[in-house]
Amino acid sequence: MASSCSQALRHHVCKSSRILRVHLQKAWPNRSFVLNPAADQQPAVSSPEEEIVIPKKKTWSKEAVLQALASTVNRDPTASDYRFQDDPYLTPKTSSEFKLFSLSQESGRNAAKYFISTYPKYFQKDYAQPHIPCLMPETLEAQIEEVSEAALIERIQMRKVKAAVDLYDQLQQAGTPVSLDVTNQLLDLICFYGDCDPAQENVPEQRNEETEDVQDEPQTKKGRASKASDKLKAAWKENNNAERIFALLSEPNTHSYSALIRGMVKYGAYSKAFSTYTDLLNNQLKADVSTFNALITAAPEVKEKYNEKWELIVDLLKQMAEQKVKPNLLTLNAVLKALRRCGTVGKSQAFPVISEMRALSIDPSLASYNHLLSIFYKPGAPFQGQTDILQEVMNEVSGKSFTPQDPDDAQFFITAVRICLDTKDIEQAYRVHELLGVGENWRLLGNDFQQNIYHARFFSLLCMMENIDVVLKWYRDLVPSVYYPSSNVMRDLLQALDTDNRLDLIPQIWKDLKQLGHGNRQTLVEELLTLMAREKQNQEVQETFAECALDIKKMYDTGDRGKVMMSWTAGSLSDLVSVLLAAQRRQDAWEILKLFKTHNRVPSEELLDKFLTCIKESGDVNQALELVQISAGFCLPGTPKLIQRVQQEFLLSEQQKSMLSDLEIQTFNSD
Amino acid sequence: MYRRLLININQVRNRLIHTHNTRLTLPSTKCKERESFAPVASTSLSEDKGKTPEETEVNAEVNTDGQRNTEMNEGTEISNATLTSQLETEPVVKPEDRKQVEKTKSGKESLLELLGAMKVEVTTVRKIRPSKTPRMSERPDQEPMESTHSMFQRATAEGSQQHGTLNPELVAAVSAAASTLPNRHQAESELLKQLRKHEAIPDTQRRADIGHIISDMKVGKRPNGRSNVRPTSQIRFDDDGKGYTQDRGITSELDGVRRRKSPFTSKRLNLFAAAAEQDALSDLGPTLWDIDLANQIVQATNQMPRNGFEEMIQWTKEGRLWQYPINNEAGLEEEASVPFHEHVFLEKHLDESFPQQGPVRHFMELVITGLAKNHHLTVQQKKEHIDWFRDYFRQKEDVLKEAEAYLN
Repeated sequence: MASSCSQALRHHVCKSSRILRVHLQKAWPNRSFVLNPAADQQPAVSSPEEEIVIPKKKTWSKEAVLQALASTVNRDPTASDYRFQDDPYLTPKTSSEFKLFSLSQESGRNAAKYFISTYPKYFQKDYAQPHIPCLMPETLEAQIEEVSEAALIERIQMRKVKAAVDLYDQLQQAGTPVSLDVTNQLLDLICFYGDCDPAQENVPEQRNEETEDVQDEPQTKKGRASKASDKLKAAWKENNNAERIFALLSEPNTHSYSALIRGMVKYGAYSKAFSTYTDLLNNQLKADVSTFNALITAAPEVKEKYNEKWELIVDLLKQMAEQKVKPNLLTLNAVLKALRRCGTVGKSQAFPVISEMRALSIDPSLASYNHLLSIFYKPGAPFQGQTDILQEVMNEVSGKSFTPQDPDDAQFFITAVRICLDTKDIEQAYRVHELLGVGENWRLLGNDFQQNIYHARFFSLLCMMENIDVVLKWYRDLVPSVYYPSSNVMRDLLQALDTDNRLDLIPQIWKDLKQLGHGNRQTLVEELLTLMAREKQNQEVQETFAECALDIKKMYDTGDRGKVMMSWTAGSLSDLVSVLLAAQRRQDAWEILKLFKTHNRVPSEELLDKFLTCIKESGDVNQALELVQISAGFCLPGTPKLIQRVQQEFLLSEQQKSMLSDLEIQTFNSD
Repeated sequence: MYRRLLININQVRNRLIHTHNTRLTLPSTKCKERESFAPVASTSLSEDKGKTPEETEVNAEVNTDGQRNTEMNEGTEISNATLTSQLETEPVVKPEDRKQVEKTKSGKESLLELLGAMKVEVTTVRKIRPSKTPRMSERPDQEPMESTHSMFQRATAEGSQQHGTLNPELVAAVSAAASTLPNRHQAESELLKQLRKHEAIPDTQRRADIGHIISDMKVGKRPNGRSNVRPTSQIRFDDDGKGYTQDRGITSELDGVRRRKSPFTSKRLNLFAAAAEQDALSDLGPTLWDIDLANQIVQATNQMPRNGFEEMIQWTKEGRLWQYPINNEAGLEEEASVPFHEHVFLEKHLDESFPQQGPVRHFMELVITGLAKNHHLTVQQKKEHIDWFRDYFRQKEDVLKEAEAYLN
């Protein structure tokens, strides 16, 4: 309609313009050369045959505008995480603060949610227009009291395992038939939770579980192990409700079997799962993809030898093909994960498996690549004999944007960077890091804990392989906006400074160290002092070193705020003294020298010798004598030498001379 | 050395583009430049003679250009006047030179070949064809007589005229190389000319050449670069360095060839028929397991917003934020299908059951007017409103009839 209309209009315009032209040419024939070019162009642009294609109305997704805007925002390396930007006071400076603040934020949210859900009657007023369901209290109590199938469905939806089982039994006793679908849902529920009521925290709400994960962080592997053991504790019990209800079914279908097998695999009853699968086959039924996935996951558990495991997996895959079940990405990942436990068989079969899945147009996700890398690079094992699988994998993935499809996707970056670190391959590490910047891949780096591991590995590799300028560039970029380095990584950084001879940056690093909360790590601080004391720098640098050294001394003095106190060692004290002496701060150094006595440490002879040389430059005879006395007080074997030096190099009064000779006799006697 | 040469060529090319432009726009200044250069450059006869061929060339150029550049011709005429006297001596020298050139030709050719061989590696410029050498030998009439000093001057002069200057370092290197050969000056001039010819190669071609070399370099380096995976304890040394990479001999190269075939393209297991298509999703929506899988994925990944917009996206997904693009009818989905006249023209609901006239009718007309203007109620609610009055008046029918208010 509209197009025909516009076409008609165009016709009209063309005609009239032509008429106009004719008229104009008649009227002003002399001037026609001016008008002609413009007038001639018109019909060319809008010829009557040309069809206007009206574009279809485009419906934007509700996030499209925001996504476009979000893509314009880059990370600001000077800003803290977005979570903490509301309140500058709560900007975390150390990793422990980061943990604390993010956890408290989460727990605040959870507390609010808890109250709303526990006392829904106080939160019934609906201010929002249109209505916002997620702000309203959830119903946690069952609404339907009578014994009916509807009530059973409600309980299943609310994931109340015990109540649902009870209700099912009541229905059975009353002789009310329950439909197969509902029974299957019930079986799903029971098998999923292993016949136990889910813990309150385990209500599928990401926030809750996230905090749980974060809480596990400090214990790292121990925490994970305990979590795994929690899962194992709830093992599959013989003749539990799931099996009982399953036995009651007159005609169990694929779904029922699937629920049972998956539950058995999840709760560690592997061989039972396989026998259930045999039952399924005997009943002339076909299994579904998820059943096969579960069985493949269980395959390495039921066999001992590598090739037996692999044969079982191949057998399962063959049966899948026979039953015309199309595998999915999770199948591929399950196979690869199983191959991780098949030793050398894994190495030979991993790539054929991927090719097979490619042929079925299943593209590997990051989890597949993660499994692949784990197959070829075992942690702790030597890397000889592997060709560059990492490089091949990076060739495959770089530049691609991945969407999360498997829970193991988030492991890829950590694994890849671990391999880079183990093989000292900075080139691939850069590629891995680059991949992280593509599209939404940053989401696949995982939670805070994993991000921390990733950055720690990446940064220590940088410290090891790159020159100091590049390292510092990355350091400024990553610390502390996304990464709070641990004291070990900071030691790597110090070593990098040392190798590239940029010790003049130490005072700067010390400031960062203090801010990162590593100011009271004794080993780190001692290393810092040793590095500063080791070589003589130019005057300016020595001056900053001295300031830094005094600052470090303050850390030793004021360790009282619940922090671990550092204790002086002879090494750290003498390093401190030499730093101060090198900066011509004799008075400060003298103060430190006195600390030897108060902390029961013994200075070395070279230190006192150095000190004496410094005193000699200023010609302070009294201090020289005091030094000798201190040396004598520690009964150092080098005291006579010091006395000799003082006698030779200083102008002494009679009294002083006699004092020295007294000291000499004393030391001689004590020897 | 090669690298430096490449850099040098790049520099020269840039300069060349620059001088080229000035030459096109300001031909007259060019001539003046040269004119002023001539006295400054040197007083020696040979130097000036070195200049003359170009001078005449330019003149010829100018003449062919025709009448438009008459003012330029004026400029060159002055220079020509100063040079004509020197030009007269030229024919005398020439024959001798020709002989010399003939003699030195074999040596020169070998040198050019040498240079050509070198150049193949540096820039992959086409090798010197034998046809070129005679053309070259036409020109260098005076060159054997030139001193190195004047040679250098000439080089710079010519460079500025044609393609920019050669790097003095390069010139020095050339003269050093030439000094090892029997006919020193001859060789040197040839070398320099050869180098300058390189500069003259069109930019586009050069660029392509350089790109080619670079890509070539990469191809050469890759397979060797990463053939061995180093054990943890061993630090990786620079690939260019000697000593550490020597053990990668032919075997590693073969390795590289073999590995170009990615393992990802290896053979498949051939268990499944590719066409096997079966969707088992006959069920009612996602099961508990599916929900759990989605949940696990969400937990494993980082869902924290990185900036305000991402937080807004999250809120939009949760339904807490007004959706973009802004629509003031958001949340009124069930009303969207109701046209406006249903809301406004409500008379049709009064038809059957209400009296056609009288106070009740009048009252109801007022009611529907009010309802028509009420935007808070849905059509259904408006209908219910009217229905309530209908019931009410039906109940009170007796009373109304008694009062003679209910007229039907």
